[in-house]
Amino acid sequence: MAALRVARGLFRSCRGVQSVDYDARALFLGARRPVCTSSSDDSADGVRKAQFADAEVQEILTRITGLDLERVFKPIKRELKPPKYKLMTDAQLEEAVLRAREQAGKLLKMPLVVPERQPIDDVLAEDTILEGMDTAKHVFTDITFSTPHRERFIVVREPSGMLRKATWEERDRLIQVYFPKEGRKLTAPPIFNEENLKVMFRQDRHEEVLNHCLVQFEPDSADFKKVHTLAFEHLEQEAKYEVLRSTRFFGPLVWYLVTRRRVDGLLTDMLQRDRLQDALSLVRLFNLVHPQSDCALQAVQQQATGLDLLKIFADCESQKSGFIKLALQTYEHSGTDIVLTAPQSKPGISAQHLQTTHGELGIPDYRSF
Amino acid sequence: WLPSLLLKKYHGGHVVIRMALGGATNRPFYRIVAAYNKRSRDGKCIEQLGSYDPLPNIYNEKLVGFNYDRIKYWMGCGAHPTKPVAKLLGLAGFFPLHPMTVTEAERRRKAALTESKAENLSIVTLCL
Repeated sequence: MAALRVARGLFRSCRGVQSVDYDARALFLGARRPVCTSSSDDSADGVRKAQFADAEVQEILTRITGLDLERVFKPIKRELKPPKYKLMTDAQLEEAVLRAREQAGKLLKMPLVVPERQPIDDVLAEDTILEGMDTAKHVFTDITFSTPHRERFIVVREPSGMLRKATWEERDRLIQVYFPKEGRKLTAPPIFNEENLKVMFRQDRHEEVLNHCLVQFEPDSADFKKVHTLAFEHLEQEAKYEVLRSTRFFGPLVWYLVTRRRVDGLLTDMLQRDRLQDALSLVRLFNLVHPQSDCALQAVQQQATGLDLLKIFADCESQKSGFIKLALQTYEHSGTDIVLTAPQSKPGISAQHLQTTHGELGIPDYRSF
Repeated sequence: WLPSLLLKKYHGGHVVIRMALGGATNRPFYRIVAAYNKRSRDGKCIEQLGSYDPLPNIYNEKLVGFNYDRIKYWMGCGAHPTKPVAKLLGLAGFFPLHPMTVTEAERRRKAALTESKAENLSIVTLCL
């Protein structure tokens, strides 16, 4: 039955999740003013801090996100159609599952986390002789089809005669007027007001809100950052990491927590769900992002791997060191070797699927003791 | 060369960049268009190069769109812009400022001054 459900999910094109492709190169190279990076102690220490877009960081984040097929291909509300059933051999089913994994990987592509954009206030000309010409502003947009939206010229001639470049909000609105994008409105819908956001969060509908936010706002706009901050803060307070677990926003959530050094809640949650590999990746990511912290320096000194990493982290950084140490002790007393398999091991199979005490990941089943 | 051959198809005519009126009653809307001189104002054009909305929106903006790439091409082929198009392009900064824009601005300021003076005079006479 489960296999049929998965197969059904495969052959639906998941259009509910609108995958917006942000070409990282276009953002960074095509931006007309240099986007200043937020890592201010980069130049001070001389040590290169890990950025969100690094290959290693992205790999760790995708591994932590996991690949729960049931969750990714969850039925989305759309018009009612009779379900399609297909008869397959085992080999065909495996092939179909493989293709589903690839598709899920594409759907789980993380939205970019970029520093917030600086306001534009460039004046091109001050023609005071034109004062009193008109009571309204004139907004001139370049409608050339082939220019990227970031490089488009949008200028405003004020009634005082000043010719200035348009602000980011004006730019977004006018680009939506002349080159409308599906799902985006000209003015932000009222769901993004604080009270309405809180209502949505109380109903655990973070994923919907964040998908809508992705479609409506640009990734470096203030509104986008605000919505994401509110969502992540709410999740952190309620410790409901499972809500976003196998979605495309888990990576940004982890990045948000790691950059603010508030990793304890997430780590304890992972240990409670027996995700030791994920916990290790999380600590490794923390060391990458904060290479000057005590934890990272000690880890480098001792060349620690596995449980030692977690121990060092519990000693140095966390406030809930008691719980982490207790969890580590139980793993040690169980007497099994934690098999640190290569990243190719299947990370998405949740603890419920472990049949024996030593599951496929080599982690002992906590509940069997 | 192909563009000049295109222009020679119409004997004596030339390409203009002008505004074609559309919209509804009491709601004008102009398309900025490259067309032959002798064609009707709203008739068949060679290419649409932009739009102009003369009524301001809720943000008090008059929206104008220009396809600068194609405007440059047609100007290079020898198209003549009309006065309102030239004024708009001057306001946009693509052309130098049209002298009539400056003159109009001065006239309006003078008119506003005389109006305010007339108001003051009428208020003074009413008080007396």
